[in-house]
This record gives sequence, C-alpha cells and structure tokens, in this order.
Amino acid sequence: MFDLFREISQTIKNNKLRTILTGIAVAWGIFMLIVLLGAARGVVNNYEEESSSSSVNSIRLWSGTTSLPYKGYKDGRWIRLQDNDMDAISGEVSTVSDVAISTTASGFNIVGPKDYISGGFEAVYPDECRTQRIYEIEGRFINQKDINDLRRVIVLSRDNAALLFGDAEKALGEEVKAMNLSWKVVGIYNHRWRKSAFVPYTTYKAITGGDGYVDQMTVRVEGISTDTEAEETESQVRTVLARRHEFDPEDPNAVWIWNQFASFLKQGQAMVYLNLAVWIIGILTLLTGIVGVSNIMFVSVRERVHEIGIRRAIGAKPKNIIIQILAESVVITTIFGYIGIVAGMALLELLKPILEDKAGFSNPTVDISIAVQVTLALIVAGALAGLFPAIKATKVKPVEALRDE
Amino acid sequence: MNYELNDAVISLRDINKTYPGVVPLHVLKDVSLDIRKGELVSIMGASGSGKSTLLNILGILDNYDSGSYHLDGVLIKDLSENRAAELRNRMIGFVFQSFNLINYKNALENVALPLFYQGISRKKRNALAMEQLERMGLADRAHHLPGELSGGQKQRVAIARALVTKPSLILADEPTGALDSKTSKEVMQVFRDLNDTGMTIVIVTHDPTVGAATDRIIRIVDGSIDQNSKF
Repeated sequence: MFDLFREISQTIKNNKLRTILTGIAVAWGIFMLIVLLGAARGVVNNYEEESSSSSVNSIRLWSGTTSLPYKGYKDGRWIRLQDNDMDAISGEVSTVSDVAISTTASGFNIVGPKDYISGGFEAVYPDECRTQRIYEIEGRFINQKDINDLRRVIVLSRDNAALLFGDAEKALGEEVKAMNLSWKVVGIYNHRWRKSAFVPYTTYKAITGGDGYVDQMTVRVEGISTDTEAEETESQVRTVLARRHEFDPEDPNAVWIWNQFASFLKQGQAMVYLNLAVWIIGILTLLTGIVGVSNIMFVSVRERVHEIGIRRAIGAKPKNIIIQILAESVVITTIFGYIGIVAGMALLELLKPILEDKAGFSNPTVDISIAVQVTLALIVAGALAGLFPAIKATKVKPVEALRDE
Repeated sequence: MNYELNDAVISLRDINKTYPGVVPLHVLKDVSLDIRKGELVSIMGASGSGKSTLLNILGILDNYDSGSYHLDGVLIKDLSENRAAELRNRMIGFVFQSFNLINYKNALENVALPLFYQGISRKKRNALAMEQLERMGLADRAHHLPGELSGGQKQRVAIARALVTKPSLILADEPTGALDSKTSKEVMQVFRDLNDTGMTIVIVTHDPTVGAATDRIIRIVDGSIDQNSKF
C-alpha cells in the first residue's frame, strides 16, 4: 500500500498542472454542494424554528365586511368578531383546541419616568407571544394568572422600555402609567420590528367595561395532518361565525381567515422539495466535477500510454495498471474534495452571522454526517471517474503502447 | 560462448502471423527456430521483413496465429494478459532502442520497477537494483533521473533493469540504434560480458557490426528465416 502511494505521489508530482486542474474541478463541485446544502439547511432550520411554536397550528381571523347579501341583509355589512365567539368556536369545532383573542387599545399614552409613547397597547392572551413570534423575553410574557386575576401588568419592547426608562435594563419590575392607571412591567422583549406593548385581555376588558368586540382571534387546531382537514376546520369555524353573525357561510369577505396550518403544511412540503432540489443540483454539480475528472483521467491515460506500455512490458498486470489509475483518481478526488468540503464549510461559517442576521437563515451549516456522506460519495465518484480510463488503458496492447511516443 | 546444445530457451515451430486489414499482411511465414541457453544471437533483416514482429512474439508482447512457441519449456500460446505479464516479468528482460525508462523515476527506481510488480519489499528491491547498477558501473548515477544521463548510461540502466529479475532471456531491440559508434561498442561489450556469464541474449538489429559481434545471425527475409543464416 505504501508503495502504491509512493507511485501515486510520484505521478502526481510529475503532472502538477493536470492534477491541479482535476483537483479544481472536484473541489469546486464539492464546494458548491456544501454551500448549497448549508444554505438550504439554513432556510429549512429557519422555517422549522419559526414553525416550532403552536402558532403554525392555528387559524387567524379578523373582522371583515360581507360581500354577499344574506337573509334580507345587504352586502357591505361590517362583521365584528366578539370575545364570546371564542367559546362558541371551542365548543362546536372538534379539531379546535384553544381560541385566543386580541384587540388593540389606542388613543392614550404610556408614560414612563423619562418619556412617554403614544398609541396604546394590545390586549392579549398568553398565546399571543407565540402567534407574534416573540421569543426573546427578559422577564416573562402575559400568563394565565394575569388573565385570571385581572392583573395590571405590561410587557414592553426593548426599544420602548429604553425610551420610557432611559435604560431598558432598569424597566423590569418598575411601573408605567396608561389609561390613568399604573401597570407593572413584567417583561421586556426583543423583536426585529415589533414594538407593541401587551397587557392581559381580561384586565383591559374589566377596565374599559368593553363591548366585547375584538380585532382578531387565533384558533389553535389539533389532530389534523392534511390540507383537506385544515380546510375543513376553517370551513367549520366560518360556519359557526356565519350562524352567530348572520352572514352567508360562503362569503369569503365577511370574516378574514388566514389558515396558517394549511400554509404550514404547504411550506413543509415546499421545504421537502427545496431539500430535494438542493440535493439534485448539488449532485449534478458534483457529477460535472466527476465528468471533469473522468475527462482529465482519460487525457492522462492517453498521455501515459507509452509509460503504461513500459510498465506492462516489464511485468505490470492489467490489474496493477487499473489499481494505480483508480487509486490516483480516488486520491486526487478525496484530497481536493476534502479541500472543497473545508472551504465550503469555512465559507458558511464566515457568512453565518451575516446570513442569520440579514437573510433569514438559521444555522446555515452542514452537519458531520452529511460531510461523511459527501466524502464517501467522493471516493465512489473518484473510483468511477478513474475506472473507465483505467479499463481503457489495459485494452491497449503493450506492443502498441510501446510504439506510442 | 557458454551455451549447452539441445538446451533450447526459445523453440519456435511453424509460427505464422498475419495482420488483418483490407489487404491482410502475412508478416511471419512458418518460422521455426531454436535458441539455446547461453547463446548470443542477432536477428537481422531489412525494414518490414518481420524481425520486430518476431521479437514481439518472442517477448510475449504480441500473439501469433499458428504454430508453437516454447520459452524455457513453457508453451506460450493464448495466454491471459495476467499470465503473459507474469512470464514477461520473470523470464524476459527487455532492452529497447529508445531505452524506455520512466522519465520521472531515477535510475535506481527504474531498475527496481520490475521487482515492484513481483511484490518485493522496497528495501530488497533497492538492494537488488543497486547490485545491477553497480554491475553496470552506474552506482554513482543511481539517484539521477534519465534526463541527467548520457545515451550510453541510459542504455546501461535499461540493461540493469532487464537483468534485475534474473530472467532466462534478454531481448534487445536495436539496442545501439540511438547511440554513437563508440557507445555502441561499449554497450555491445556489456552484452558480450553478460553472455560470458551464461545469459541468453537475442538482439534484433539492422546494424551489421552489431550482428558481427554476436555468435549467430538469423536473417529474416520477407517473413521467413533465411535457411543459410543459421550457423
């Protein structure tokens, strides 16, 4: 084996340009495969993270305006969701596990010791943090006890907390004023663009006396796994609301519905296709590399016909020639493939902060099992690339090979 | 001349060889020939007479169509590539006009290469190769590449390579063809010295001075042995 490697290293040293060209073809193929796989992994990871919350298993509803006349009512009627729709939906639709409502309260200021913000806040249920994808919270979000006990607590965005208290770090546990009442800051959250303040829905309703109208409703579903089931649930929710608010169940505009679960399923499928597409593109890129290697190996064998003739005249068996050419090919593909893997992974590591921050990727890297699979694929590919030229080399008669100068 | 009569290293009987083509070329016609152990023989003939084809058949580099060829008692006919390679490696040492050294291997590595295909360890290969280089007076050139050697030195490296496996037969194809007359004489002297140690040597040449330096000249005319040429 050591002898074989000495032979290979001599041939490689003697054919530097050829080796480098072959190597570049392979390294580039692998580099592209790794970068593509890493990028796709980043997109898939990001999607999975975003969808890991229960919010994707949900259907969101907003008040709308009828577009069809119904039972003597003209179209163009405003349908406003009410908090007691919540109980009706939970009670009547079997696939609904939970319903949360939220509403925006505006027209007042939130005042802190240093400054104030105008606008208002959103009165919500605990699930809202998942619905709105608020993950980074210092302290906590609104919880069930806040809802039950009608607590006057508030969750602020980091930017607003910094504005109200001069320093966001000082806000937690302190109080702000809103609607002429004190609210205790129980959480500070970080989000790329959300700035709303959140308070418990029940507290807000108790303070305002509330008419029960809400801006939006989130219906969580469970035990379903197909598009059809998701659409069926959506239709049942619409039917319940249509009966309660007297609009045509076929009217798409009376209540706006965003069936996130159906989108989730479709996106899930899209991710499978994305992964598949990346593998196909990657493998095709790799194949291009292999064809390149095979071509160069053919040329290399052609260039070395005379040398092969000499070797055969002095006793090399066809299998000796095949093993040498195959081993050469495998060594070249493996070494340069490895360079491609390392370069690809290094680039992904280098771009990781930028991709994660700006481009919506999450951990765009390839894991070690993929790298091992790619390495194995490389060795097989290298062997394949060398096999045909090697077989061709042994088909030339030694006497013809010796004549080839 | 140390050959022993009736002890044939090479025994050809009615060998025929035709190259197929639009007009098939009958290159060797009923060639029968014995070369005994320890002989120094030259095969001479005009260009196209069939002498190179004969050499290739003798060297198991090419097949023949009919007849029989025994090399050291082994019938050489319809051999697999593997068996042919094995016999070439163990029984025949080749010396070519253009030396046929591998240009990126030094003299020692070139000489040791046939032993690589016998699976001999590197240390032993190098020791045996160095022995042959010393025999050829080239020990100080062992680590030089062919490009750094003169024509005569290259041919002596090639002869060392031919000898390293201790073959039954040395086949030389125009071994002095690429050398000046002085170096040619030196190389022929090497062959003579080897022959004095009992080595059987067959030289294909068109050079009469080379032929004259051998014990026996076999002439080929139009693919047949000139009967007058044998002794």
